[in-house]
Amino acid sequence: MNGAQDLSIFSMLMCGILLLVPLLGIWYLKLGLAKKLLISTLRMVVQLVLVGFFLEFVFRFNNWLLNSIWFLTMITVAVFSVIKNSGLKLRHFVRPVLLSFVLANFFVVLYFNFFIAKLSFILDAKYMIAIGGMVLGNSLRANIVGLGDFYKSIRKDEQLYFYKLSLGATRFEALRDFAKRSFVSAMNPTIASMATMGIVSLPGMMTGQILGGSVPLVAIKYQIAIMIAILASTVLSISLSIFFTVGKSFDKYGVMQKSVFAEK
Amino acid sequence: MFRLEHLTKQFSDQFVLEDFSFDIQEGEKIIVSGRSGIGKTTLFRLLLGFEQPDSGKIYFENELLTEVTVWNLRQRVAYVSQDLNIGRGNLQAFFNETLSLKTNVEYKSSSLGELEELLNAFELPDTLLQKNIEELSGGEKQRVAIINALLLKRNIFFLDEITSALDKSLKAKVLDYFLLNPAFTVLSISHDNYLPTEAVTRTLKLD
Repeated sequence: MNGAQDLSIFSMLMCGILLLVPLLGIWYLKLGLAKKLLISTLRMVVQLVLVGFFLEFVFRFNNWLLNSIWFLTMITVAVFSVIKNSGLKLRHFVRPVLLSFVLANFFVVLYFNFFIAKLSFILDAKYMIAIGGMVLGNSLRANIVGLGDFYKSIRKDEQLYFYKLSLGATRFEALRDFAKRSFVSAMNPTIASMATMGIVSLPGMMTGQILGGSVPLVAIKYQIAIMIAILASTVLSISLSIFFTVGKSFDKYGVMQKSVFAEK
Repeated sequence: MFRLEHLTKQFSDQFVLEDFSFDIQEGEKIIVSGRSGIGKTTLFRLLLGFEQPDSGKIYFENELLTEVTVWNLRQRVAYVSQDLNIGRGNLQAFFNETLSLKTNVEYKSSSLGELEELLNAFELPDTLLQKNIEELSGGEKQRVAIINALLLKRNIFFLDEITSALDKSLKAKVLDYFLLNPAFTVLSISHDNYLPTEAVTRTLKLD
C-alpha cells in the first residue's frame, strides 16, 4: 500500500495559516463574511473528523449490513436535500423519491462493483461508499434540477398542459414533453463536463487516485467508468422519481394536486 | 348535448357561478357574453374538467361528467383557448404532434392533406409551416390554434375569444366558418359585435 502521504499536525497548522488569506481579504474588503467563513470552516472540520472516524470504523469491519445501512443513510440524506432544494413538499415526495434513489443507486453501484470492478465482495465498503457517494452526489444535483423543473414547468405552463389534454392527450402524452425537457436540463451539465474532462479539470476521483498511488492510466479508466455510471444513475433516478410521483401528484381529472409544492 | 344543473363555483370568497343551469342542444351556436372576470372562461374549464364545481352537475350526452367520462369529452370537444401558449418549435411538427396523439391518429393522413387548404382559408401562407411557433404573431398563433382544432375532425367547439387578435375581415371569416356550419355545436366567448346575419345563435349572458 503506497497511499497518499499523511499530513502531520504541523501540515494542518500550515493549512490553518493559509486560511488567513481569505480572512485578510474579507477584512480588507469589508465583505462582512468572516463570521460565516469561520462557522463554515468549523462545521467542515467537525463533520469531516466525525465522518473520518466513522469511516475508519466502517472500513475496518467491512460488514455487508453496516455498509448497506451507511449507504442507505447517505441516500436518505440526499433525498431530503433533493426535495427541500427543489421546492417540493417533503411529505408528498419522500417515499417515492427514496424508493427511486435506492433502486437507481444500488443498481448502478452493484453493477459497477460486480461487472466493472469485478469485486468478489460487491458490498465492499471502500467501493460502495466511495463510488456510491460520487454517483449519489450527482443524482442529487441532477434531480434537484430534473424533478424540480418537471413539476415547476407544469405549474408555470399549466395552460399548455391543459391545452394538450383538451386535444385528447392522455396524461402520459400531455406530460411527455415536460419530462423530456427536464431530462435535458438535468443531463446537460454532466454531458458538457464529459466533453471537457481532463483538459479543463482533472476530476476529483482521478486526483484522489493519483495521490493514492494509482498510475494515471488506471485512474482514467475508473474516471470513464464512473462518468458513465453517473449518467446511468441520473437517468434512472429521474425517470423513477417522476414515474413514482406522477400517480399521486395528479388527480383523476389529470389536474396537478396543490400538495405537490412546499408552501412559501 | 350538454346539460348544466345548479352549478356553483366559488374562488376564495367570490362566487363565479351561483346555482347556474343551462342546456345546449346539438348544432346550437351559443354566444357567451358578460363582463370580464364574470366566469366565462371558468365555465369552459368546468366543462373540460380542469376545475370542479363546488356543487351541481354537468351532463354530456346524458352522461354525468366524472373523472372517468371527462376523458371521453376531451376527445370529442375541440377547445381553442384564449391563452396562446400552445406549444413550441416547428409549426409543421406541432400539427403532426396533435395528430399523433393516440385518439387523433386515425385522422392523421386525411387531416394533414387538408392542412394547406385550411391555411389558405384563414389567409396564412404555406411557408409558415417551416417557422417556429415562437416567431409567430398573436394573430397568426390564434389562427394556428383554430386550424389545430379543426384538424381534430370534431364537431363540438369551445371557442374562447378566438378572434381577439384578428382584423375585421378575418374576424368575420372565422366566425362565419364556425357559426354557419350546421354540423357544428359551438360555445363561443366573444366580445365582437359581428355576427353573420344568417346565423342562428343564442346568447348566454352571465352576470
